[in-house]
This record gives sequence, C-alpha cells and structure tokens, in this order.
Amino acid sequence: MSFALSKPGRFIGALTADLKTIAYRLAAAMVICVILTFASDAFLTTNNLLNVLRQASLLFLLASGLTLVILTAGLDLSVGANIGLSACIAASVMKLSGSALLGAASGVGVGMCIGVANGLLVALMRMPPFIATYGMLWVVHGITFWYMAGTTIYGFPSAFRALGSGYFLGVPIPVYLMFVFLTLGAFFAQRTTYGQEIYAIGANRESARLSGVPIARRLILVYTVSGAMAGLASLVFLARMNSAEGDIGEAFTLPAIAAVLIGGTSLFGGVGTVSGTLVGALILTLVLNGMNLLTLDASWQPLVTGVIVILAVFLDTLTRKRAEARK
Amino acid sequence: MNKIFLTAAIMLSTAAQADGEKIAVFTKNLTNPLFQVERLGAESAAKQMGATVQHYVPTKPDSIPEQMSQIEDVAVKRPNAIVFIPVDPKAMVPGIAKINAANIPVVNVTDRAAGGKFVSFIGADDYSLGLETARFLLKAMGGKGNVVIMEGVKASLTNIDRVRGFKKALEENPGVKLLAQQPGNYQRLQALQVMENLMQTFPQIDGVIAANDAMATGVIEAMEAANRKGLVVGINGTKEAIDAIKAGKMLASGDYAGFEQGCLGTMVAIRELHKLPVPKEVVFPASVIHKGNYQPYDVAAEQRACPKYEDLIKK
Repeated sequence: MSFALSKPGRFIGALTADLKTIAYRLAAAMVICVILTFASDAFLTTNNLLNVLRQASLLFLLASGLTLVILTAGLDLSVGANIGLSACIAASVMKLSGSALLGAASGVGVGMCIGVANGLLVALMRMPPFIATYGMLWVVHGITFWYMAGTTIYGFPSAFRALGSGYFLGVPIPVYLMFVFLTLGAFFAQRTTYGQEIYAIGANRESARLSGVPIARRLILVYTVSGAMAGLASLVFLARMNSAEGDIGEAFTLPAIAAVLIGGTSLFGGVGTVSGTLVGALILTLVLNGMNLLTLDASWQPLVTGVIVILAVFLDTLTRKRAEARK
Repeated sequence: MNKIFLTAAIMLSTAAQADGEKIAVFTKNLTNPLFQVERLGAESAAKQMGATVQHYVPTKPDSIPEQMSQIEDVAVKRPNAIVFIPVDPKAMVPGIAKINAANIPVVNVTDRAAGGKFVSFIGADDYSLGLETARFLLKAMGGKGNVVIMEGVKASLTNIDRVRGFKKALEENPGVKLLAQQPGNYQRLQALQVMENLMQTFPQIDGVIAANDAMATGVIEAMEAANRKGLVVGINGTKEAIDAIKAGKMLASGDYAGFEQGCLGTMVAIRELHKLPVPKEVVFPASVIHKGNYQPYDVAAEQRACPKYEDLIKK
C-alpha cells in the first residue's frame, strides 16, 4: 500500500480491500440475480435494480453501524426500537416546529443518545452487550408506545420527503446515502487507527488493552455510531413512508443483525467488513423482490426465505472448512 | 396479622364499590390503532355508566405469556367484570378458564375465543367486511381491470376471513383479473416494498385491496412515488385512512367499528353486573367509509362519545 495515493484513491483502495474479503457472499448474491433474470422478465431492468437498491438502503444504513459494534464482539439489539423512537420524535418535532431540519436533527440526536447510553452500559458498567441492549430495546419500545399511545403521525413537507422518495439524475436519493456511508464505513474500518483498534478489540480484547487501545472510549464510539445510524435510517423511513407509528421498529432488529452476519461479519468479533453488510442487505432484499416478481404464494415465502439465507452462506462456510482442514 | 390484611382488603373493596364498578379491559397491544380506539370506547362507556376502567396490555405486542400472567394478576385483584380480547384465540383458553374459575363475569370482544364461558361476544364480521370493501372497489372499477390483494399476516384469523371476503367479491366480478396476492404482514413498509416490486412485473394495476389501512397507505405511497394511478381500499377506518379518503388518495376503508366494540363490550359487562338483560352476541355489520359518508367518522377518537346502548345493539 503506497502512501502516495491520492485521497479518492485511498477511498477506493479501502473499498476494494473490503470487497475482496466477501467474494463468496458476492457470488451468492450474483447467483440469485442470475436465477431471477431467467425466472422473471421484470428483474433485470434498470427500474427494478434501482428499486432493489432503494429497498436495501434502509436496511444497510441500519446494519452498517451495527457492523462496527459486532466487530468489537458486541451486539446492539436496540437498533429496531431505536428506529421506532427516533422516527416518532423526528416526526412530532417536525410537526410541532414546522422545520424539517429541526425534525431531522432531533431524529439523529435521539438515535445517538440511545447509542451513547448503550455504550456507557457496555463500556463503563461492563454489562454484557446482549443484556444491556436487550434492556435498552424494552426501555426504548416502552417510551415509544407511551409517547405515541397507538396514534400515527403523518404528512411531512415535500422537501424532507425527497430524502426517501426523491431522485437525483434518475437514481433514488437513499441509494446515494447508501454508497456514501458504504465508502465512509469501509474507509473508517480499514484505513483509520480507530478502525484498526475496533478490529483489535474484537480479535483479542486483552491484547488490545495491553497494546494501549482505549477500549472504553472505542466501545462508546461504536455504540454511538450504531445509534446515530439508526437515527439516520429512521429519517429515510419517515421520508419514504410519510408516516410514523409506534411499532415500525420491530420488524428491523433481526433482519439488520442477519444482514451483518450474512455479509460475513463474525458474531465473535474481529472479522468482517462493511461491504459484506451491504451484500447481506442486498441478499435479503433480493429474496423479497424475487418472491414478489414471481408472485410466489404467501404460504411458501417464509420457507423460501430461510432456505436461500442458509444456501447463501453455505458455500462460504464450506470453503472455509476445507481451508482449515488443509492446515 | 391475617385479620388486619383481610379488613384492609374489605375496606378497599367497599371503597371501590362506592366509586362504581371496576372493569378490567384486556387488549392485544399498544401499537395497533384499532386497540387504541377500543380502549377509548371502553373508557367512554365506563364514564357514562359511572364505572372505572383498568387496562391490561402486553408490553410485547400479542404476547401469550404476558396476557396469561396478567390474567393471574386479575384473578387475585378481582375487578367486578372483564372485557377480554384474547391475544390468541386458542392459546388463551386456559387463561379464560382461570377467569371463569374465579367467577368474574367476562365479555369477549373483537377476536372470538375458541373456548371458555362468556357473558357475550361483541365483534365485527371480517368476512363480510372484506366482501363489502372489495365489492365497493370492484364496482368503482366498473367490474373490469387488474387488481392486487395485499394480505396481512398469513395465519391470522382476521386475515383469513378478510381475504375470503375479497375472493368472493372477485368471483362475483369475472371481468376483474387478480394479478397477485402477496403478504404485507399488516406492515406499512413491507406493503410499500411489495407494491414497488409488483409494479415492476405488472405495468397496469387498476386496484389494490389491502387487508388493513396501514398497508393501504403504504401502497398509496409506492404508487404515488412511481407516478402510477390506481384505486386503493383498506380496512379499519383509521383517522389516517379517513384523511386519505378526504384528500381523494384512497377510495374507501372498511369500518371495523373498533370504538363501538369497546363501548358495547364495556356496557354489556356493566349491565350484566346490574342484572340487566344483555345480548348473547352482537356482530357489527360491514360498512364501508368513502368520500360520500366519511363526515361522522372524521372525529378524533379521544373526542368521541359512545352511542346509546339501544342504538348499538340495533345495528
């Protein structure tokens, strides 16, 4: 790696380094694409591909922050609940103040605060991340349900809605957001000291501590980023759906974790990439897209989803096992 | 020691008597607007009849173990009567047996339980609601064109009956083609994404029948963003749907009479305590809210008051 590379070159370098690690997952996504191309005329069209990218963007934004948390051998179960509360607070601030900017800022702010709280519990109180963020999930759900009391807030200014449903040069705005945060995330993880320290914490916490990594501060950082990304994802949700209600977050937690893990990040920490998470989000989105395009009977959809997820990771684990056997 | 406790308990219960009857109201979750209006209906009825309402709602939506432990609580606290929506019609039967064993009168509302002794059942008929709502759409389409059905949660009772109603209406209109029937799981975002996907395959979708209003609004967002025109109907008669009907974005919404169900369920429970005659069963007939009749529904549920008992059972 040469230090003479120009700035954009360094970003691209980070991205390709990221992509190399996930060749097999990418291949699995490609296989799904090839099958769908033959199965449905509607699949391989510009419109549908942009459609898939736009649908994947929300999940990716949420899962990208979570990737950093899982890289430290942590977990954030509160991301779904976080989207719910951030969206509802952003929605009501926007309604009350009439300012889209203030609403957006409060959405990301709320998400970030939840992240900081998670970080403090995990880093300073030394709580197991599963329990700390599981508790936070209920606290945040509880606040959201109490605040919303079964009501729905809807109807936002069109300038704000462009964030979710707008286009620039024929490409949906959330897709730009996805690629911006993909590049930033890959660069942060691969090319900054912070990123390297995060990998080090996940790989071996004790040796990271001995080599001088400020563990508590880095842990607080990753949970805060995860919370802020949930806040950002909530804005994309609001802008797309034009409405917020108390239960919107529930459907996100497991798919977000699944996107990270399907993308090759290890639950034990130290291994994984942000690009992998993009591929994970794409695989999950492609499955739904394909089932809808083929109008597969509703009764079969859960089964098919499960089988494809397992197959998508199968090839990778198989080759890894062989490599280990050869050692 | 025991004696003191007993006396205190008796004093407490007499104090409760003076305040009017205590009614425990069980609903399925805090998230679905339907149960919110049912709770408001129950409160309005209790207020009119001088009773008080205590709500029992699982913190995890539709949680069977949570509702079960709430029943155990109630069997100890002994309210005068219970208005009960089971989170699951079959799984809650043992819970209802506990209420029956405790001799607390209980009225079954909205989702019919598969067993147990009830004073009455108060509900709405999902099949005819689905049928009437779909008929309204197909008539507006002139009995021809392409439609899509957006289903709720595949295994849920409400969804099965509503979709059966949709299908019956389609049978009556052979000129209408059913392009696809896909699950949106009663979720707004999923309905939006499913609709985006379906629009890739089908260049012309004239109508969408959604099994609830949240999915209907998701479908409308998807079609608007893609500059596609089509008529959309949903079910529940939520405030959001009524605003969309008013704005001409949504064709109609089947009225689930949630507020009225909460009212009547609570009224029946209190009348039973007063030894007044009560109906064994009231199933609210299907009615469809559309541009021509939305005005009476266009009121925040907080400001609504229960209709008279006689008018409710007449329906």
